[in-house]
Amino acid sequence: MTTLIVRAVILAAVAAAVAIPVGLFSRPWHGWAVFSLGLVLQMVFHFRNFTRLDRWSRNPLVDASLEGEGEWDNIFGRLYRHEKDLRQQIAQREHEIGMLIAAAQALTDGVVLLDLQNHIVFCNQTAEAQLGLKVATDRGQSVVNLVRQPEFVGYLEAEDFSRPLILRPERFRDRVYAIHVIPYAGNRRLMQIKDVTQADRLDQTRRDFVANVSHELRTPLTVLAGFLETLQEIELEPEERNRYLEMMADQSRRMQSIVQDLLTLSAIESAPPPENEVVDMANLIDKLRRDAEALSSGRHTIRVESEGQGDLLGSEPELISAFGNLVTNAVRYTPAGGTITLHWHVSPQGAEFAVQDTGPGIDAKHIPRLTERFYRVDRSRSRDSGGTGLGLAIVKHSLNRHQAQLHIKSEVGKGSRFTARFPASRVNQS
Amino acid sequence: MNESQHLSSQFDEELGRLRTHVLQMGGMVETQVSSAIEAYSSGEVASVKSIVEADRKINDLEKAIDDDCAHVIAKRQPTASDLRLVLGISKIVTDLERAGDEAKKIAKGVRRIYEAGHLPAQYGIGIRHLAEAALSLVRQALDAFARLDVALAQSVIKADSDVDTEFKSIIRQLITHMMEDPRTITTSIEIISIARAIERIGDHAKNVAEQVVFIVEGRDIRHVKEQAK
Repeated sequence: MTTLIVRAVILAAVAAAVAIPVGLFSRPWHGWAVFSLGLVLQMVFHFRNFTRLDRWSRNPLVDASLEGEGEWDNIFGRLYRHEKDLRQQIAQREHEIGMLIAAAQALTDGVVLLDLQNHIVFCNQTAEAQLGLKVATDRGQSVVNLVRQPEFVGYLEAEDFSRPLILRPERFRDRVYAIHVIPYAGNRRLMQIKDVTQADRLDQTRRDFVANVSHELRTPLTVLAGFLETLQEIELEPEERNRYLEMMADQSRRMQSIVQDLLTLSAIESAPPPENEVVDMANLIDKLRRDAEALSSGRHTIRVESEGQGDLLGSEPELISAFGNLVTNAVRYTPAGGTITLHWHVSPQGAEFAVQDTGPGIDAKHIPRLTERFYRVDRSRSRDSGGTGLGLAIVKHSLNRHQAQLHIKSEVGKGSRFTARFPASRVNQS
Repeated sequence: MNESQHLSSQFDEELGRLRTHVLQMGGMVETQVSSAIEAYSSGEVASVKSIVEADRKINDLEKAIDDDCAHVIAKRQPTASDLRLVLGISKIVTDLERAGDEAKKIAKGVRRIYEAGHLPAQYGIGIRHLAEAALSLVRQALDAFARLDVALAQSVIKADSDVDTEFKSIIRQLITHMMEDPRTITTSIEIISIARAIERIGDHAKNVAEQVVFIVEGRDIRHVKEQAK
């Protein structure tokens, strides 16, 4: 700065030094004219640089267009560097913010940031999908305008966020969300949406299971207790007494089979993967047929259809129990005169064991739940026929352990087909 | 909307609050309709009572919003799009309230059917589907209002005719049932009135969508199609 002033003074002095002799030797106004000319030249120089600065400041670009003369060049240089640094910093910050947003987008939980009036400031893709929001149009919009369920609106209004809100969203009614609202930075709010559908379903299954086990065991127990009371209090004829004892034995057998099935299930669930022994299928199917005939005692026609050669690799007792369950079910539920067909089909893609019956069939709405423990299509009938309600659950578990899948096809009035499909890796082709 | 251009931010806030209240009411109506359908499929007659009670809240909210609309008009003398918003809201609120009433009618019909010991599922299988369609119309109409999305509003208006067609086919199906077995007549008539209520809910959703178009574009598109016919 000082050099600039010194330079201006020196240039003025030079102009004066030239102007004074001119003024003395010629007319005085010639001297003034020369002096003014000197000053004007200096002004033109500064003015030119000023114009450059003015032009640049209207559209500051980091390029070579900002070049000055003399002292001005230093100023321009500093401005240029300052601008460049700033731009770099902004780019750096933008990059960092971008990374943060990318991280928020990658979260599997939904995240929505709200301001004081519950307006949406930010929401990630998961939250968009969960709540049916669209960031592009909904930023700045109140979140309760779009998630309008009274429970949700009430939860935000009550401002008591000590417990999460469990919400079944109107848009996706089969889902369950746990919504946490966490205040941050003073009066802003972060809304975290966790999809707890799976946990909720598990919880439901567990509750149903406990309720069902107790119910299934209590029924025979009540009968037993009733008979015991009768026996204790009333003198009975030996004949009647024996009849009662027989009924009690029946009930205790029933309880035993339920407990046995429960133990089997838990054993299958916790056991190590089955060994790969070769299971002689021809033998096994023959045994299944004989068992079915014995159980049916001539009321049904039992047929066997076998196609392709090959045996299964796996645990023989588990497979026998799984297939046996399917066959027993078919015999139990098919009215007299029906036909039960056992299919065994081996192909390069794998193998299929199927049991087809001509029974009453199962309504489509029951099929997805059939393998649940204690699930009953018809509560009154199935207990009479002696099932424990655990058969298909055991079948499904045993098959899963052999990487096989249970497919159920059924039509009301026509019959059902239960198919176990094994992958090729489980088949010993011969 | 030219909300951002208002000098008075208090006015903006009032309009925003009005909109949020309308959508809050809409949310209640959505829940009413879906609970009514749920009651229809599951036969949980207990929920009917809560539906009838919640309808009272909707009615109160309608009155409160209408009051607010009158206040905004008197105090702020809105013009152009703001005026359309306020006018549109007062009409939307009426439609929402009526849709809520229809939900209540469905719930009561469901209670009558189950209390008479019948299972509606045996007859109107299409009812659930029809109801889902109508409910999604209500949801989309409210979304269109929240986002002032004319394209969505127009798709709601178009989709309403599908609901009408489906309604007619359900009626035909029920008539066949009644002719085959006169014992089903009582239940069938109840189901027809439920189907009618659902169809009306679809119509109310369409009216809301028409108001959205009016608010955004200033065009009144009500009854246009009828005149073109």
